[in-house]
Amino acid sequence: MPLGPTSSAININGSTVSDPAPGVPRTPTNITIHPVALFSILDHYLRRTDTQDRVIGTLLGTRHDNEVEVRSSFAVLHSETDEQVAVDMDYHRTMYDLHHKVNPKEVIVGWYSTGSNLNTYSALIQNFYSQETGPHQAIHIAVNTGVEEGQEAGVKAYISSPVGVSPKPENCVFVPVPVELRFHDAEKSGLDLLANTANLPSSTSSQPIADLEIIENAVQSVSDMLDRVLAYVRAVLAGEKKGDPAIGRYLMNTLGASTEDLEKGGFNASLQDTLMISYLANLVRAQAEVSSRLALTAAS
Amino acid sequence: MAATSMAAALAASLPAPSAVSAAPAPTYEAIPASMAKVIDIEADIPLTCVQLDGLVVTKIIKHAREAVGATAHGLLLGLDLDGILEVSNSFPLPHHAGEEDEKSAKASARHQASMLRSLKEVQADDSVIGFYQATTLGAFFNQTLVDTQAIHQEKLRHGGIVIVHDLSQTARGNASFRAYRLTAAFLDAYKKSNFSTSSLMSHRLTFSSILEEVPLKIRTNPLLSAFLGTLTETRAGALPSAAGGSTTGSALEPTFSVLDLGTGGVTRNLEQIVEAVDNYRTEEGNLSYLSRQIARERAKAENYVAKRKEENQARVAQGLAPLPEEDVSRLFKIPAEPSRLESLLLLGQIDAYGKSLAGSASTGLVKMYATHAGSEI
Repeated sequence: MPLGPTSSAININGSTVSDPAPGVPRTPTNITIHPVALFSILDHYLRRTDTQDRVIGTLLGTRHDNEVEVRSSFAVLHSETDEQVAVDMDYHRTMYDLHHKVNPKEVIVGWYSTGSNLNTYSALIQNFYSQETGPHQAIHIAVNTGVEEGQEAGVKAYISSPVGVSPKPENCVFVPVPVELRFHDAEKSGLDLLANTANLPSSTSSQPIADLEIIENAVQSVSDMLDRVLAYVRAVLAGEKKGDPAIGRYLMNTLGASTEDLEKGGFNASLQDTLMISYLANLVRAQAEVSSRLALTAAS
Repeated sequence: MAATSMAAALAASLPAPSAVSAAPAPTYEAIPASMAKVIDIEADIPLTCVQLDGLVVTKIIKHAREAVGATAHGLLLGLDLDGILEVSNSFPLPHHAGEEDEKSAKASARHQASMLRSLKEVQADDSVIGFYQATTLGAFFNQTLVDTQAIHQEKLRHGGIVIVHDLSQTARGNASFRAYRLTAAFLDAYKKSNFSTSSLMSHRLTFSSILEEVPLKIRTNPLLSAFLGTLTETRAGALPSAAGGSTTGSALEPTFSVLDLGTGGVTRNLEQIVEAVDNYRTEEGNLSYLSRQIARERAKAENYVAKRKEENQARVAQGLAPLPEEDVSRLFKIPAEPSRLESLLLLGQIDAYGKSLAGSASTGLVKMYATHAGSEI
C-alpha cells in the first residue's frame, strides 16, 4: 500500500542479507505509520505561524527487528533562519515525558517534517534525534501536504547514513525506506467514517449512523463487485477477452465457499437463537424500565 | 439567517476567536462587527451541536483500543462558536490503578496542566471543554463519569460535555461517538447529594433522564479531506521491491467486517447482562435491608411516643403533672434514607447492555436473511 508518489529508489531488503551480530541494532527496512501520527502532523501544519515554512516534531512508536512502527507524534518548536536552526529541546523532553506516562510502550523513533526538501538543517536535526534514539537509528518522515502547487501529497520515510571522509553532523545521506499506513482492524471503521465524511461536500456528517445503513452500503458495494466480475466472466466466455488463469483461481477460491452448513437446518437453528436473544434483550430492557418507574412510586 | 451562517463559516476559518473568547489576556482585541453575533464571551448562546474533528476521532479510537482492560479517558480541547462546540484536539490522561487516590489525582492535575501549557506553545487549542470515555457494549453509566461531569459542569464554559466512544461498535464496523451532558434535574439532585425516593420523585429521575444527548457531527478540515482523498485513490504501486512483486491499491482498502456473521460478541454481552443484573440485585438487597432497618427504628420510636402519651393521659387523670415530651430523635437513631443513585446507574447499565444486544440481534437477523437469500440463488 503506497503512501505517496512513486519513487525510483531501489529498496534492498536486509532480511535476505546475513544477519548482523546480536546486540547490534538493525537498520530499519520497513516503516509503518499510524493514522493518528499522520493526522497530528497535518493538524500541526495547519496551526503553524505565518513565518514558518515547515513544522517539525517527534515520532513515537515501537521497533521490532528491522521494522519501525510509528504510532503517534507530537509537535516540537523550532526556528529556522538563514544562519541557524534551533530546536526546543526542553519542550521535546517535557512532551516526551508526558506521552511516556500515558503510553510507556512508545519510545522516540525519529522525527517528522512537512514539505519534501531535505537540507543541511534536516541533517542537523537528524543528528540530534539520532542521539535521542541511540543505539537505534533515527528515522525521518517527510509529509508533503500537497498544498503547494505542482506537488503531490504523500509520505516519505528516510534513514540517514554518514557521508564523507570524516563524518560531520551536517553531512548525511537520506536513504529512502518504504512506508505504509498501518492500523488495527478494529480502527478501520473510524477511518472509513472519516473518508466518507471527507467525500461529502460540507465535510461534516452527523452521528450516530444506523447499523443497517452501513450494512446496506457494504452489500451494495459487494453487489457492484459481483456485477463487475460477472461482466468479466461473460466477456471471457464469449471470447471477447482472454481469460487470466490467476483471476480464475481467485474466483474459484472466493466463490466456491461452502454454504452447506447453512442450508442443512443451520439457518433455522441460528434464526431461533437470534430471535431468542432479541426477545431476551427486549425483556431485560422492559424490566429495567419497569423497575426504574417503580422506584419512583412512594413506599406507603 | 444566511448572514449568520456566513459569519459562522468565516469565523470557523479564522484561528482568532480563541484569543478573543478564551484567553484571559489583559488587552482584548476588538471583535469585528461581522463576528459580534457569534462570539459570546459570557457563554450566553446555548449549545446546539458538538463538532468533532477528524484528528480527535482517530485519537480517541487509538487510545480506546490500546487501553484494554482499563477504561480509557482523556480531555477534549476546543472552543465554542455560535452554539457549535468545536472539538479540535484531545489528549489521553494516564490511568492510575486505584491506589492512593489523593496522590494520583494530584499527578493527574499536574499532567493536565503541563500538557495544556505545552500545547499552547505550538498554537493548539488549550481550553478544556469536556472529556471522553471509552466504553464497551454501550454501558458507560458509572459513578466516576457522573462525578467528573458534575465537576466539569460547574467549572467549564457551557458546562462541558462528555463524548462516549463505543469500542465494540467500532470493532463491528460502525464507529460510534455520542455526546452527552447531565440534565438540570439530575444536577440539582446531585448538588443536594440527595437521591432518596422522594427526591427522585420530585425530580422525575430515571436512568434515562440522567444524561441528555447533544447532537454530534464529525468534521474533517479541508487539508485532511484532501489528504484522505489521496490516500483512498487507487494507483499503481511503487517500483517492484527486491522482495516482492508490484502492488496496486490504495492505502485505505475497503473492508467488509460489518458483513461478518460471527456472533462472538453476543456471549460476552449476555455475560455482562447477567453480571449487571446480579449487581443490581445485591444493591437492591442492600437498599431493602436499609429500608427495613429504618422502618424498625421508626416503629420503635413511634411506640415509645405512644406509650409516653398514654402514660401522660393516665397521669393527668390522676391529677399529676405530665412527664415532659422527650426528644425522640435523640433517643432513637433513625438512619438516613439510602441513596438510590447506585441502583439507578446499575439499571442504566442493564438497559444499555440490553440495547446493544437487541441491536446486534436485529442486524444479525438482517445479515442471516441476506446470506440465506444469497445461498439460494
